[in-house]
Amino acid sequence: MNDKAFADATLLSGGRQASDAIVTMKSVVKRFKDFEALKGIDFAVGRQEVVVIIGPSGSGKSTLIRCINRLEQHDEGSIVVDGTELTNDIRNIQEIRKETGMVFQSFNLFPHLTVLTNVAIGPRQVRNLPKVEAERIARELLERVKIPEQADKFPAQLSGGQQQRVAIARALAMKPKVMLFDEPTSALDPEMINEVLDAIKELANEGMTMVVVTHEMGFAREVADRVIFMADGEIVEVGTPEQIFDSPKEERTKKFLSQIL
Amino acid sequence: MKKWLRENLFRSYLDGVVTLVSAALAIWILTQLWNFVFVTGRWEIIQVNLKLLLVGRFPEESMWLVGLSMISLAFFIGLAAGSLRSTGLKSRKVTEIAIDVTRRFGLLLLLAAAIIYLAGTLDALLAGLQVFAALAVGRLLGGLKTTITWLKPIPKALWLALWALLPIASIGFTLSVASLEEWGGFLINFYIAIVSIVLCFPLGILLALGRRSSFPVVRLLSTTYIELIRGAPLFVLLLLAGVALEFFIPPEIAPDVIFRSVTVFTLFTGAYLAEIIRGGLQSIPKGQTEAGKALGLSTVKIIYLITLPQALRNVIPAQIGQFISLFKDTTLAGAALSVFEVLNIGKAITKQDDFLGQGMIYESLAFVALLFWVGSFVMSRESQRLEKKLGVGVR
Repeated sequence: MNDKAFADATLLSGGRQASDAIVTMKSVVKRFKDFEALKGIDFAVGRQEVVVIIGPSGSGKSTLIRCINRLEQHDEGSIVVDGTELTNDIRNIQEIRKETGMVFQSFNLFPHLTVLTNVAIGPRQVRNLPKVEAERIARELLERVKIPEQADKFPAQLSGGQQQRVAIARALAMKPKVMLFDEPTSALDPEMINEVLDAIKELANEGMTMVVVTHEMGFAREVADRVIFMADGEIVEVGTPEQIFDSPKEERTKKFLSQIL
Repeated sequence: MKKWLRENLFRSYLDGVVTLVSAALAIWILTQLWNFVFVTGRWEIIQVNLKLLLVGRFPEESMWLVGLSMISLAFFIGLAAGSLRSTGLKSRKVTEIAIDVTRRFGLLLLLAAAIIYLAGTLDALLAGLQVFAALAVGRLLGGLKTTITWLKPIPKALWLALWALLPIASIGFTLSVASLEEWGGFLINFYIAIVSIVLCFPLGILLALGRRSSFPVVRLLSTTYIELIRGAPLFVLLLLAGVALEFFIPPEIAPDVIFRSVTVFTLFTGAYLAEIIRGGLQSIPKGQTEAGKALGLSTVKIIYLITLPQALRNVIPAQIGQFISLFKDTTLAGAALSVFEVLNIGKAITKQDDFLGQGMIYESLAFVALLFWVGSFVMSRESQRLEKKLGVGVR
């Protein structure tokens, strides 16, 4: 990656300095056996910034955000989240995981626990809050994602859209400083996509810092402060939604956008 | 009726033939069985030796202890069953309850009735009624909402410890009044099975986790243990326990045969259970662990809050199957270690002066088989119910 691209990738929106970043990645490399999934990623997310990552499948988008909370271990480079560097030290990892919430493509709710317990489990078991307090937080969040009446059901009794909103509430219950969304609508039936996107938009409007991997271009345009286009394990182009969607500079970006739009 | 017959039993000529042949076979078996049970069978051998078969030479004056332990066990089982119904007591018609109880425990009640009839004493009837009453009271108490709130402050770990201690304590208690030579019969099969089940369960969990551990030493040890035990016949292990210990421990202080059988059954079933539980753990999608990690849960909490509960529930049928086979295998302790258990007694009584050379082995074996069959059947049926109950909201 040339110097210009590096500067682009780490420059925060609104002309803020990199020191204002909550997540910083420097020359991060991730390999799966012989395959290089991330080829030296430089990347930063500012506080209250919404970064949307797009790109063809297999381009390393998911791997990138899974490195931020150590679901994947990077092989080279450094990752710093909220001033804590990700090392092999389990305490650092736990510290960072407490500060980052993640929403998965396949929801990954705990099927043996009620919706309420699913949401309360973080505050109760990680933050060690009393049960009453944890459940109060959980009910509040279920209210916020507009499904308070489902609290006592089990995940399997809910629709996909409702499940994903529970998953969002579960991540929020930890009061994270950054939310990571890994293709949150890809496993949903079309008619349920909007209810989830609306919940995420609302979060963005409230000033939550977010990194979103998605294929929903309309959503990306609407909600993103910055859009990052990735291909083959590299960041190819970075810019405001207008720059990326209306006047992409790189050939690969143009080709990708012409294929999906 | 005619339509049903045609659609289900006589759809084609071949179907018709199969139906008729099976019907004839079934009728023949049933008449033979009826004949044996009510006509040719001479059940006085069971009647005379009933107490011996059930509790061995347990001292008469301490029989109340057996009753007490049965009653307390029934009470706790009832309490557990009741509190599993988190909805509390539903008002149901008496007839509905009666039908439900008959459907689930009819066989057990029938067996109990047969035994009481054979015993022919008022004491036996009273004991039976007391056990049943304890079960019912436990069930009612467990189902009450107020009881649940009252019991809630007691931590789960304490409950588990209590569960584990109950059978072990009652064994120790029983041993303090009846010596080993006096104690035997079906009671000993029952106790060996219960204690081994309680002990092998945590062992199985630890071994399963050990085999999946990221520490090579733990993994190697667990794997070696599991494969070694699973490679040896249970009977050989029991025989070994009978002789091998003498190499290490002087005979005067060597543990008794019951202790040895419990040890072997625990170690043996633990290895099988470990593989069953490991299978259950493997069936849990990776996303579950990842979601736990992403929340910041520690590895230990991910296991005991998320993966293990799901894994254990997924393999309930296989686990119960293992427990049922452990229950039946307790008869091997009689042959291998001369434990005075029910099959041993069943064989021995046919050699009594009154019954020698009269071919009484059929009656005797049939009775022993019936005891195990009813026990296993109830376990299997109840496990299916448990599975349904815990399966709420799953897919």
